[in-house]
Amino acid sequence: MFTYDSYHMPLTLRDALEAVAKLPSGGRVIAGGTDIVPWAREGRAGDVHFPVLVDVSRVDEFQGYDLQGGRVRLNANVVYQDFLDDAVLRANLPCMPHCAIWFADDQIRQQATLAGNLVNASPAADGTPPMLTLNAEVELVRLDSGEIARRTVPLTDFVLGPGKTVLAEDELISAVICDALPGYGGSFQKVGQRRSLVISRVCAAALVKTSADGRVFEDVRLALGGVGPVPARLTDIEDMLRGQPVSAGLIAEASVKPAERVASRSRVEYRRHVVQGFVQAAIEDALAAAGAPRPGQKDREKAHA
Amino acid sequence: MVAKNNRWARGRGMAASWYGIARTATIDRAGAWAELDDGGTAKIVTGVTEIGEGILTVLAQVAAEELGVRPDDVTIGDNDTARSPEAAHAGATRQTYMIGNSVALACRNAREKLDAELADYWQVDIGLIEAFNGEIWARGTNKRLTMQEAVDLCKKRGVVPVGSGSFTAHGTGLDPVDGTGAPWQAYVFGCQVAEVEVDTVTGEVQVLGVWAVHDVGRAINPRGVEGQIEGGIVQGLGQALMEDYETVDGHTTTHGFAKYILPTSLDIPQINCRLVEDRDPRSPLGAKGIGEPALVPTAPAIMNAIYDAIGVRITSLPATPEKVLAGLAEKRAAAMAAE
Amino acid sequence: MPDQKITLTVNGRKVSRPLNGAPRLLDFLRDELNLTGTKEGCGAGECGTCSVFVDGKLVKSCLMPTLKADGAEIQTIEGLSPVGSDLTPVQKAFHKTGASQCGYCIPGMVMAATSALRENPDADIEEIKERLGGNICRCTGYTKIFEAVEIARDVIAGRLPPVTLEADETSDSFIGANVRRIDAPSKVAGKLKYAGDMVMPDMLHMQVLRSPHAHAKILSIDTSQAEALEGVECVITSADVPGKDGFGVFVHDQPIMAREKVRYVGEAVAAVAAETAQIARRALALIKVEYEELPGIFDAEEAMQPGAPVVHDYAPDNLVKHIPVRKGDVDAGFAEADLIVENTYSTQQVEHAYLEPEAGLAYVDHDGVVTVVSPSQNITHHRHMLSEIIAKPINKVRFIMSAVGGGFGGKEDMIYQGMLALAAMKTERPVRLVFTREESIIASAKRHPARITYKMGLKNDGRITAASLHMISDGGAYGMSTEGVMRKAAILSLGPYDIANSQVDTYGVYTNNTPSGAFRTFGGMQVQFATESHLDICAEKLGLDPFEIRRRNMMRAGSTTHTQQKLETCSIEEVLRVAEEFCRWERGAPTSRGAERRDLNGPDVRQSCTLGARFRMPGDEADEKQEVA
Repeated sequence: MFTYDSYHMPLTLRDALEAVAKLPSGGRVIAGGTDIVPWAREGRAGDVHFPVLVDVSRVDEFQGYDLQGGRVRLNANVVYQDFLDDAVLRANLPCMPHCAIWFADDQIRQQATLAGNLVNASPAADGTPPMLTLNAEVELVRLDSGEIARRTVPLTDFVLGPGKTVLAEDELISAVICDALPGYGGSFQKVGQRRSLVISRVCAAALVKTSADGRVFEDVRLALGGVGPVPARLTDIEDMLRGQPVSAGLIAEASVKPAERVASRSRVEYRRHVVQGFVQAAIEDALAAAGAPRPGQKDREKAHA
Repeated sequence: MVAKNNRWARGRGMAASWYGIARTATIDRAGAWAELDDGGTAKIVTGVTEIGEGILTVLAQVAAEELGVRPDDVTIGDNDTARSPEAAHAGATRQTYMIGNSVALACRNAREKLDAELADYWQVDIGLIEAFNGEIWARGTNKRLTMQEAVDLCKKRGVVPVGSGSFTAHGTGLDPVDGTGAPWQAYVFGCQVAEVEVDTVTGEVQVLGVWAVHDVGRAINPRGVEGQIEGGIVQGLGQALMEDYETVDGHTTTHGFAKYILPTSLDIPQINCRLVEDRDPRSPLGAKGIGEPALVPTAPAIMNAIYDAIGVRITSLPATPEKVLAGLAEKRAAAMAAE
Repeated sequence: MPDQKITLTVNGRKVSRPLNGAPRLLDFLRDELNLTGTKEGCGAGECGTCSVFVDGKLVKSCLMPTLKADGAEIQTIEGLSPVGSDLTPVQKAFHKTGASQCGYCIPGMVMAATSALRENPDADIEEIKERLGGNICRCTGYTKIFEAVEIARDVIAGRLPPVTLEADETSDSFIGANVRRIDAPSKVAGKLKYAGDMVMPDMLHMQVLRSPHAHAKILSIDTSQAEALEGVECVITSADVPGKDGFGVFVHDQPIMAREKVRYVGEAVAAVAAETAQIARRALALIKVEYEELPGIFDAEEAMQPGAPVVHDYAPDNLVKHIPVRKGDVDAGFAEADLIVENTYSTQQVEHAYLEPEAGLAYVDHDGVVTVVSPSQNITHHRHMLSEIIAKPINKVRFIMSAVGGGFGGKEDMIYQGMLALAAMKTERPVRLVFTREESIIASAKRHPARITYKMGLKNDGRITAASLHMISDGGAYGMSTEGVMRKAAILSLGPYDIANSQVDTYGVYTNNTPSGAFRTFGGMQVQFATESHLDICAEKLGLDPFEIRRRNMMRAGSTTHTQQKLETCSIEEVLRVAEEFCRWERGAPTSRGAERRDLNGPDVRQSCTLGARFRMPGDEADEKQEVA
């Protein structure tokens, strides 16, 4: 049973940080709340009583997003549904709609924030791999002698392990800042046991930019989730592809290596097999989303020309 | 490399099934009361209510047909051991068969009383009296009343048109040594075909189509029967592919719906139903049942379809993505060893 | 819990009041505003029975702390068609197509469908499916729900006339007519009260203390501290049972609450009735139970071995029931066979997962009649058992069957009604108990898992000469329906086939696992999964089409069944004929020929689900088609 004594909804960042600074033992900060309520149930944490809950979802500074200098600043209350509903975000973060559509369901996506998903640091968190491909940084904020202090941490350094991040007790995530990549093709692969409300076993995110004719990989970004304690960016594979002509053979070659990285505690063989297929599919789907001809379809294209 | 077009493999499988109607290897019985009520409405009392299968609607249809009123005119109550006759349990694919027939018999009993008064009033043979949709008449004459008028007339003559019915299914017990016996008086048969797509990268199986053909005796409400079949298939699909209540030393590891995986709207096939109506000769309605039999052939049809698609025989349910991939790996290893 | 005040608008009316302890928006709507159309199915955001609109966005109210909705505009199912107004097109369409069965998921489902069409009035079927993806339905298989949403969409858009939503014309008979469900209007409007929605004046709330051990002796139970807690009216244990304690479908081996020992994790040990559920829950923590753990047995085959821990003293071999079925001479039948195929099969324990968790309300009426209102699938039998347990004449025990929010056999066992009756008798106040989802999962029976060993002998032409089937099934800690399930499994095991020589043995076994009980098919699916898989294996070896091998063996009118009953009628031939034609089956032996089949991907299958229907680019489909061409 989920119970609490008092519930605060600060409207300003300062009020929020003051509430966080005063948080008693056992108190919690929440945003969407979609993880904490199911957690406080039998089979997980059991009955949990919170002396104080601080809900930061109405903090004015946490609303919305900004697009500046090739980067997107996603303020802390951006929810997963925004990646589907907002045309600007869809165009600039091409892998995120594909990720969001696999995330929980339409209703939970209305509440669940990207920032909250990153803070929970589940090895299977859907949001982390695509955010890695977008070179995301996390902006953290706290009160330092009464002044609002900010620091920025690359997402790769933010997540330390399952459920562990560098977030300090008196800190909040104020924003996730990532690349804006219009013109890239994005994709997201995920497998669980069904096709809605899926808890991921393995997931993969990709972003691809090709030359105007779609024949050369100008840029490739890849990341995997569910294959180890923390999601991983596949920079070696990216290097292997960048600048190379698009070919089915090269993609296949690139797909073999990541399987070696699988270091999960369970289902290792399964995950290795899936990873290989997913890396390939992620690249192919991202290519298709970028409007490039599918490798292997060249003959047909030529015939048409 | 796994070529795009080779990643997904499709196949089809079928399975047949049979099932017995009502309680097993024992006498089954159910009772009901019926009353033609003021305004030409009707009251049916029987000790069972809806568990979702649509029994109240089926009973309203049966009562309306037998009494000559409309389903909307029928009030059904009341699932209460202190207020209604025994209908026993809501299960064993017995609702339409047992309660449906007991309601039919109770309604006929009530109608006999009404018809006797009308026959006397109209001075016609009771066998000529027919009723439907709120009207009652004597066939071949110009005698005709609304049911409201008929009930009013009957009551003014001092008779309340009430009836009762009890229906029996004569199952017999099994011999304890060789199992000989006649457990049911009515059997149904079914067949389902499944078409699946197997993702050879993830091992996921999607069921794209199911064709379900079931003998239901007589469909009282065909749409309701389809609903039972569709629901049964999706439960069968859940068991075939994803559902698994797991325990470790008696402690469950699947304590909620985040761990106990149920099919969602995105996991289900197009379901195509056809009904076969082989009427039951032993009961007034001729209807049999569909609740349970609907899901019997689903899982084996899906397993047979997976085999058709990728040559992997899953003998242990559920066919999770991991089991399917492990099966494919084994198959590849065996093929390599053979070379 | 906080007494903070909340101000919000619910279904157009302003509400301003203290939370009164309601932690989640769902609790506030149900308990404070009595808007019980919004249901609790799982409490964890996994089922969607609690979906409501908050500021126009559909959310799961079980995941929303109440104060998160402060200042918001809420619309619940009750607000879709307020008093005095007609049902909405979506609700009418659900009524028309038969989209509601048990109805428990339906308010949430109607809300999800409404949301889908508000978000995109032109949503295609794939997008509709995605938008309903957070709402589980366990009864309908979703098919009629999809049909309803599509009809509603087209009526709203003017593509279909409003009359589409009305009843069909009456034909010349109501039998065989698609009469709309008479219970649907109350379900689509959220008006139907299930047991957990019912309240009575002066009602107490029950919570149950459950065993943390799979097998343990109960040395002592001290309830004194719990009883002393303010707001607690009574604590009950097996010591409070006045009559002969024991229930079950075939053998009455289960006490109302654990007596002397616990046999599975989740078994009821004691129960508290208090002024609020939260107080009752706090009281549970104050009950002191001393256990002495016993070795447990968790595998059905091991339970049958000599020396295995004994679950029930009356059954030292842990056997609940063995059902043998014999026909002809199996040895002679196998000797006659050209081909013998052996294999093993297994099926898992399955949860019923009805969306309505168990709930009940008990009271003692003015005449001293102990009355239990609950979604019981067998009020007749429950009345018999309870009268013995509470030592009252049968006419002083009354069971009322409330609307059942899904049963599938899982609500045939009297696993909580006895506790409610005892507490109502002890307090002379109404007492209500509503299970959580987790409680329902650990405490209720499951589908029997099965391990099946199969042997079949056939002639080269596909005729079966003999079959033997041996099944061991884990019945868990109590007998429940195990005996009946073993019997039905044995009778149906070898399928609708005329087999001269057969031998079938089914064994239901006690273990310290969660009990297995009645579940839709009652043993029929486990055995026929084996038979139908096995027949395909045999068909492949013999080079026979799957329909053909079945036709060569099928029963006909006049055949004798495996239990040697002569069939008066038999429709399997017709069923197979229709099925083969209906699905356009391409004949051939089942040799993994999927890649070559030409009967695949017809107009009567859906396309495989790739998510993202709402943002799929218009070019995608054309591209696919081009590729095919």
